[in-house]
Amino acid sequence: MDMTGEHTIAASRDDVWAALNDVDVLRACIPGCEELEQTSDTTMEAVVKQKIGPVKATFKGAVELQNIDAPKSYTIQGEGQGGVAGFAKGGANVTLEDVPEGTLLRYEAHAQVGGKLARLGSRLIDATAKKLAGKFFDNFQEHLNGPAEPEEG
Amino acid sequence: MTKVKMTVNGKAVSREVSDETLLSEFLRENLRLTGTHIGCDTSQCGACVVHVNGKAVKSCTTLAAATDGADVTTIEGLANGGLHPMQEAFNEHHGLQCGFCTPGMIMTGVDMVNRYKAEGRELTQEAIRHELEGNICRCTGYHNIVKAVEDAASKM
Amino acid sequence: MTTGIGARVKRKEDKRFITGKGKYTDDVRMENQAYAAFVRSPVAHANVKSIDKSAALAMEGVVDVLDGHQLTGDGIGNIICGWAVTSKDGTPMKMGAWSALATQKVRYVGDAVAVVIADTQQQARLAAEAVEVEYEELPVVAFADKALAEGAPQIHDEAEGNLIYDWDIGDAAKADAGLAAAKHITEMEITNNRLSPNPMEPRSAVATYDEAEEHYTLYTTSQNPHVARLVLSAFYNVAPEHKLRVIAPDVGGGFGAKIYIYPEEITCLWASMKTNRSVKWTADRSEAFITDAHGRDHISTAKMGFDENGKITGFKVDTIANLGAYMSLFSSSVPTYLYATLLSGQYDIQNLHANVRAVYTNTVPVDAYRGAGRPEACYLIERMMETAAREMGMKPAELRAKNFVKEFPHETPVIMTYDSGDFDANLAQAEAAADVAGFAKRKEEAAKRGKLRGLGYSCYIEACGIAPSAAVGGLGAGVGLWESAEVRVNPVGTIEILTGSHSHGQGHETTFAQIVAERFDLPIDNVSIVHGDTDKVQFGMGTYGSRSGAVGMSAIVKAMDKVEAKVRKIAAHQLEASEDDIVIEGGEVKVAGTDKALGWHEIGLAAYTAHNLPPDMEPGLKESAFYDPSNFTFPAGTYICEVEVDPETGVTEVVQFTASDDFGTIINPMIVEGQVHGGLAQGIGQAMLEQVIYDDDGQLITGSYMDYTMPRAADLPNFSVHHASTVCPGNPLGMKGCGEAGAIGSPPAVINAITDAIGNNDLAMPATPQNVWNALQAVSAAQAAE
Repeated sequence: MDMTGEHTIAASRDDVWAALNDVDVLRACIPGCEELEQTSDTTMEAVVKQKIGPVKATFKGAVELQNIDAPKSYTIQGEGQGGVAGFAKGGANVTLEDVPEGTLLRYEAHAQVGGKLARLGSRLIDATAKKLAGKFFDNFQEHLNGPAEPEEG
Repeated sequence: MTKVKMTVNGKAVSREVSDETLLSEFLRENLRLTGTHIGCDTSQCGACVVHVNGKAVKSCTTLAAATDGADVTTIEGLANGGLHPMQEAFNEHHGLQCGFCTPGMIMTGVDMVNRYKAEGRELTQEAIRHELEGNICRCTGYHNIVKAVEDAASKM
Repeated sequence: MTTGIGARVKRKEDKRFITGKGKYTDDVRMENQAYAAFVRSPVAHANVKSIDKSAALAMEGVVDVLDGHQLTGDGIGNIICGWAVTSKDGTPMKMGAWSALATQKVRYVGDAVAVVIADTQQQARLAAEAVEVEYEELPVVAFADKALAEGAPQIHDEAEGNLIYDWDIGDAAKADAGLAAAKHITEMEITNNRLSPNPMEPRSAVATYDEAEEHYTLYTTSQNPHVARLVLSAFYNVAPEHKLRVIAPDVGGGFGAKIYIYPEEITCLWASMKTNRSVKWTADRSEAFITDAHGRDHISTAKMGFDENGKITGFKVDTIANLGAYMSLFSSSVPTYLYATLLSGQYDIQNLHANVRAVYTNTVPVDAYRGAGRPEACYLIERMMETAAREMGMKPAELRAKNFVKEFPHETPVIMTYDSGDFDANLAQAEAAADVAGFAKRKEEAAKRGKLRGLGYSCYIEACGIAPSAAVGGLGAGVGLWESAEVRVNPVGTIEILTGSHSHGQGHETTFAQIVAERFDLPIDNVSIVHGDTDKVQFGMGTYGSRSGAVGMSAIVKAMDKVEAKVRKIAAHQLEASEDDIVIEGGEVKVAGTDKALGWHEIGLAAYTAHNLPPDMEPGLKESAFYDPSNFTFPAGTYICEVEVDPETGVTEVVQFTASDDFGTIINPMIVEGQVHGGLAQGIGQAMLEQVIYDDDGQLITGSYMDYTMPRAADLPNFSVHHASTVCPGNPLGMKGCGEAGAIGSPPAVINAITDAIGNNDLAMPATPQNVWNALQAVSAAQAAE
């Protein structure tokens, strides 16, 4: 499954970059993230609880940052084991670009699921992944900009 | 653990069970009423259908604790001696082959006829096929099941 | 006689099923029973680096965690394929090793690496989750055509390039010459979609080891308990046959999936010995999708040539068959002897050649599923015939009839000898019942409602009653395929029939009793059928290949012949008459033309009291027989499907389905019709709804009833089922078999009807609304381009 997206964030590129590398920010923003601990400069260990269709699982896994070109881009790579629920793994190339409104964040992500997740949840995975990505960036934006103003009207 | 009390096939029962015990499991494992079958894990096949307070319910997605105090009827208790007209119709019209989906089919069939009668609606063949959406049979191609339900409806 | 041959006798076995008293394997509960949960690979191809059981072993209720090294260390043998197919270059098929629990490598998602035995099912499942297996992932190939590509991942060392065999049948030079001489050639690429059999009862096993007797008992969901015992003893070394009892109690459907002896049954037996507990395992549906052998999965190209009169001049087929990650019990025979040998269809084709390559992929093993090879053959031929008729501007029925075999016996170039049939009669009966004459009017009326109506034919033939032992032995089968029966007349005159045929929906307890009741003119309730227990029935080859009637009942007839001979001798002796004058009638054994008679029960009693038997006669009245047929049987018929397509959505409705079958002698029309209904539902399911889908990583993404579309009541019409029979000359009752016909004959009829409706012949199974809609868009696009 492949997925691309972009979000404009009202913050400077340096601030966005810093947040993307801040374990506390990531922990707060990743939907369902229960634990995220830095194990080295570029690696983290995570526990994430997720529900995809009928399958609910706690994923334990490692996250690694690669191809770091601060403050422009990196690749975030992860793999999680969810016991009998199966596994999920994937990565995303994230790039940052200055725009008048702040910073444009682009990502190209690919993901693979296996085991029971694939058997029971596959038709829901695209939608779930998009929803999770959306939720992450909402959280991320909120973290940097404060809660979004409710629109007029 | 939870103490669950209910009436099953007219008899009061009570058992101490773990909270996550499903009604299907309660019936099969705790009460040894093995006529209620498990054919899938996703509430699609309907082999597990029983009546809870007179309504058809998939017992594989109902917690035993949630039916505390309820009146439950399984295939074993459908008829009070002899056979229920739905059971007779399944035999008469060859509405079963391997028999595994049959208890769920019969319980669904009875519920269907009861509802249509209560609502004064006509249970056509098309309606029977539509109503059987939650019950899968791999043997009969449904042809004779539809005939059986239709026939039983005229006798209930 | 209202219960004899041809009577619509209501089923004797129904009462226990409609009252919830059936006894299936999962209903069995043993003393001291523990539960098994398997640790399965979540990846399709990997080396197993390590298995860490420590966390699981420490969990509550866990009795033991066992792995493949322990299993093979105890001498449990590899799982075998029982039919040796030889490649055309003379080399044997390339079979990779398959251990019930993988030791070095996993080859499909679901491959078991360990088993947890615990006090409760929940504890076993939780602990299975805690077993940590380290996998080194390998590249994956999930599709048959890709498995043969250069550089494809190698699945078994034994099978280079994943090729199991490259086999052929027929005469290639003659087929080429026939095609070269053709006036018209029809060429198609045809895929037969992969299916999951899905009997409603998931597979289950309860194994018990008796330490004092060194004896095992296995309750299991099997179509052939004796074959299971034989294979478990002879090949898997679980226990010698006299130390192993296999019981297949009520079994909730099979359709082929319950023929084989799977890793789970082997493991449960072995684990019961290791733990000294009864061990129970029952699959959940998701587990069934990744462990029950799948069916079909062929990719073929075919060329058929016709002369100016529409006579077939040559037929050439090239097929790749996906056998999955391991060779299951009969897997090798399905795309060869059960498929290519039927490629002549109902037609007189002199020049025919088929080539079949079977390949390994990182998917669930593929084996026989209702029809097994014959649906694939029928789909291919009947799509070709319909397409050729359209291309040549002929009526599809006319093209078929022109090529029908009309004289029997008929020898095909692909080793079958059709013994009987009247294909014209079935075609005519089906056309009349389907009111083909009125189709144009119905099409016009549908068009007014904005619907596209189409009509499609299928004229199928199958070889079943599997079958003659010498013949199948010559073709590589590892077993004989006869059947055995025992007829026990009790001292009170009631009769027990012990049969090796297993009933799991087929109604044997009724039909087998019918032939006995008719033969001895007794009430049907005086006859009971015993099956499914290796301690009761002496032997049997089981139920598959539509063989219970033609083979199983024939064995009963042979045993009854012996009983009757003895009854005549006893009666003649006691009534002082000639054996030739004895008649058995109305519950009595009489001397014709006199009032001298004995009650049937008196004969039974006489045989057992043995006070007054003919000199040298042994007491008792019990006879057994092994029946081995001389040929396959050849059920055949015509199916006509009529559909309506909604062009806006692609939603297709089967509005009428008509079947005319030739099953030979019919014992109980009610049961036969039920078999046809069920077969049709599975065939229509294959054509319109069902498909097992793997992604490129070998992940099964149709692993539940939310993803794999089972036919529901509203997906199917009422069926119009008819019979035009010729008697089978090969067995005493003249039966041909009816269990698989519906699933074999129906898919091409459905696709021929839909393609007729939409005006686009390029449509693959399953014809889901999306696929039909896409095909309709292609028609619109082509029209717009013109």
